Parts: sequence; C-alpha cells; structure tokens
Amino acid sequence: MANLHTQICGVSFSNPVIAASGTFGFGREFNEVYDISVLGGISTKGLTLEARLGNPTPRIAEGHGVILNAVGLQNPGVEKFIADDLPFLRSKGIVVIANVAGKTLEDYAEICRRLDGLVDMIELNISCPNVKCGGMAFGIYPESVEQVTSVAKGAMARTPLIVKLSPNVASIAENAQAAERGGADCISLINTITGMVIDVEKRKPILANVTGGVSGAGIKPIAVRMTYEACKAVKIPVIGMGGITCAEDALEFIIAGAHAVQVGTANFTDTLAMPKIIAGLNDWLDAHGVADIAMLRGTLKIG
Amino acid sequence: MRELIVKVVGNEEIAPGIYEIEFRLPEDINFRCGQFVNLSVGDGGHLLRRPFAILFYDRATHTAGVCYQVKGAGTKLLSEKKDGDELTCVIPLGNGFVLREEEKRVALIGGGVGVFPLLSVLGQYHDSDKHFRCYMGFRNASYVNTFGQFDHRSDALFVATDDGSFGRKGTAVSEFFADFEQAKPDVIFACGPIPMLRALKSGLAERNIHTPCYVSLEERMGCGIGACLVCVCHKANGQANVRVCKDGPVFEIGEVEI
Repeated sequence: MANLHTQICGVSFSNPVIAASGTFGFGREFNEVYDISVLGGISTKGLTLEARLGNPTPRIAEGHGVILNAVGLQNPGVEKFIADDLPFLRSKGIVVIANVAGKTLEDYAEICRRLDGLVDMIELNISCPNVKCGGMAFGIYPESVEQVTSVAKGAMARTPLIVKLSPNVASIAENAQAAERGGADCISLINTITGMVIDVEKRKPILANVTGGVSGAGIKPIAVRMTYEACKAVKIPVIGMGGITCAEDALEFIIAGAHAVQVGTANFTDTLAMPKIIAGLNDWLDAHGVADIAMLRGTLKIG
Repeated sequence: MRELIVKVVGNEEIAPGIYEIEFRLPEDINFRCGQFVNLSVGDGGHLLRRPFAILFYDRATHTAGVCYQVKGAGTKLLSEKKDGDELTCVIPLGNGFVLREEEKRVALIGGGVGVFPLLSVLGQYHDSDKHFRCYMGFRNASYVNTFGQFDHRSDALFVATDDGSFGRKGTAVSEFFADFEQAKPDVIFACGPIPMLRALKSGLAERNIHTPCYVSLEERMGCGIGACLVCVCHKANGQANVRVCKDGPVFEIGEVEI
C-alpha cells in the first residue's frame, strides 16, 4: 500500500482525490452508491448567501468527449447548507471544501466570514461562466482576481482559501500570481471552458443559457497545460482538475506539479469513478515501486 | 440504486426509429414501475448516459428492457449494440408510480414514446385487483407499438393517431376525456410530450375533475442520481425546483409547472 496521504495548507487529506464542485452536490446522493468516506475530500456545489434557482433547462449538452453545463449556481443558500448538509459531510470524515460565489465583493466577504472555521477550506468560485455576475467578471483580469482574493482572505481568520481560476483568460500564470498576491493559500484549476452546441435542425442552441461550461475527458490536455503553467508561476499549492477519468489522468496533474486533483464529469459517466481512481493510484504506485505519491509531484522531465 | 455492468440480450426496432433493448443484470434489483435506468451508449466519446424508463424487470432472469427513440449520435450507437455487448448503468432510479390500496380503477394515458413507462405499471399490477383503461396516442399507424401488450392487460384500450391512420383521429387525451364518464378512474397516470401533459392538465381543470393525476416527466440529465441539479423543473409556485431524476420522474400534476 503506497502512501496517498496529502497535506495542503495544513489540511490533511487521506488521498488527493476530491469531488469537484457542481458534480457531486453535497455528497448524499453518491453516498447511496458507495460510502464517500473513501474520498480525499469534496468541494461542494457552489454556494451563495441566498438560495438560487439557477438557469432554465436544458442545462446540459454533449460534444465528443465533453459535456457542457449551464446550471447557473442553483443552491439552497449558505445557511441551509450549514444546517442541513454540513453535519452529514462532517460525519463522513473527509475534507470539506465549501465552494462559494457572489455578485459583489461584499457577497464574497460575507459568505467567507460565515463559513470561516466551519469548513476545512473555502474554494472561491470567481470563474462560473454560467451566470451573469456569477463571479466570472472577477476571474478574468489579474487586478480583480487579486482584489476579490484579498477581500475574501481578509474576511477569514481560520479557514485556508483556495482560489479557483478560470481558463477563459489571457494568462493563467498572471492570474495565478494575482491570486497569490491577494493572499490565496492555494489555487485550483481549471473551471470549465465556455462553449456552445447548436441543434442544426432547429438552428437553436441546445442549452437554454445558449452557452455553457465545457468539461470532461476532451479538455484534459488544456487543463494539464494550465495546471503546469500555474504550478510554475506560484509557490502556493495547486489543485488540478479537468477531464480526469482514471489514475493515470490524475497522475499527469500530479507530475505537472499539483498537490491534489478534483474529479467532476467522470462521476456522470461512472458513479464509481472516484473510488476507482483512488484504487488505481495505489495500484500504479505499488506497481512502479513508489512509496509515497508526494514523490511524484512536480517530477515532470523536460528536455 | 447500483452501478452495474449489464449484458445486451436483445435490441430490435419495434417502430420506425424506435428500439427495444433488453439487458441482463449481474444481480437482482428492487424495481418499481415508472423507475428508470441511466444507461451508457457504450462509447468513450459520449460521456453522458441516457435516461430511459424501464419497461419491465424480470426477477427470475435479472433481465430488464427499455424502449428508446433514435434521436442523435448516442441513441444511434445504442441501436447498433448486439447480443453479448456490455453497457454500464445506474439502476433503478427515480420514485416511480405507486398505486394506493383504494385506487382500483386506473387510467393510463400515454403519448408517443411516453407509452413505455406506463407498460411497467401494467406489468407490476398484472395479477392484482386493479382495473386499467389505457389511452394511447401516436403520430400515425407506423408508430403504433406495444399495442398488443397494452391490449391484453387492460379492460379497455383506446388508440388515437394524429392523422387517423390507426384508431380514431385525435390524441390520447381526447380519447381519455371521451371515455371519462364511463371510466370514472380513481387515479390517472400519464406520460408523453409536454403539449399532451398541458392538454391533460387544462382539460382536468376545465372539467373540474379532481381525480388524482400523476405524470412522468422527461428532461436532459447529468448524473441521474440527484447530485448535479441539471434536470430540474419548477414547482407550481415557481419558488423552488424539483429534480426530475431524484424527486421524480413522477409528480402529481399540480405539483410542478408543465
């Protein structure tokens, strides 16, 4: 048995595989399929101060090797999460990362203040492509990335802050550095890539929202490249994600420099995807005589 | 619900572009009529599974069947599956149809591919004291399918087509209301396209009929198990959403916006 234990910002993960925000709800449904305490952690469905109903349907579409979603931050609001869902997640003994979004800087400060000390980490969603004022505006330019990071960090005394970066930007490295300057303890990337699918017969977009976020196996090379660029640009830990479906996929991100990974769309293709990835990581490390997954981190050989 | 690998044991075109696929499960499941399966199309390029109502589940052989319409690349791939091919799925999903003890006279209203979930109701209550009157609507004679299966299990069967090429010219809903006084159902189950369900809802309201009515809804889905919030519809008050996959797919007709 190889050591999969991973430490990020003083938070201890039993393994580096985390459920990605938006694909896993608050864990209850997947826990009906398998005991989710085997996971390293979960990043919750994006939370806002008030409950939101989200976008009209259809909210999902498909391309080859990818899907598009435009859920639009439907969530019960942070108070209901704290009352109804957090105790369940706590009972599973896994790292609980609250993914949060807001319309204004004040929203970000307030939701971070409310969750400070209640969850293990906060993941700042400044890159949701599916809602107007859903944070995307904050995620595009380095100046606003730094500003919203600084405001969120300033609102918290105890909980480490992850800033989730958008891929729909000019420079991942610059935005990663902006988050680091703003006080981020960790970076996660990539959020979905904005895309569109058209029904040719109807000459209409499939998604009611017209555009949506592209995710799934097909975006993995982009995600690996961006994770690599971010890891080179900052000193803080990086959590990589985008198209991971198996242990080898996860290892690409680790070798590129990531401390941990998140898995999203693969949960739709196989509800047991994450337990299989965790088992696969262990098998791979054992087969290659690697005692600790940390020994692979950032070991990319170039030239 | 379980994540299972299933083996195809039959896949036949039963009407133009409409197939019935049967598959064997590796273990027994607890199936209730009206539940569905989220089934892969067996190709790595299509990441989303397809949700299909389960037609029947045979406990003795662990075999289930679904009908589907070939609409795009995914269902086209599914239509090419042969006996022995393996597919993955999560099964069974959703709440399904439930008949209360006192509900003896049951009206089943199905339009197009919406007739399939209703077939499982007839299957489950085959040897019961329930009495079924069925109303089916199709585009034209070539789409009329599963007719025999409905016919031999129900007290009365009414079939209408849009162009009158089979049965009467009309819809499943018009057939239902024409027979309503005769039928006097204790409960109504319906599945079909949204215009059909709207016609049913407004028809019940206009006639001041308060018979309990449950509809099975369809929506594009992601996870199929209630986590991703993709397949929602508004509750009737517009102030909250329900998940078609987890809270449904069967809803009381007044509970949701149609």
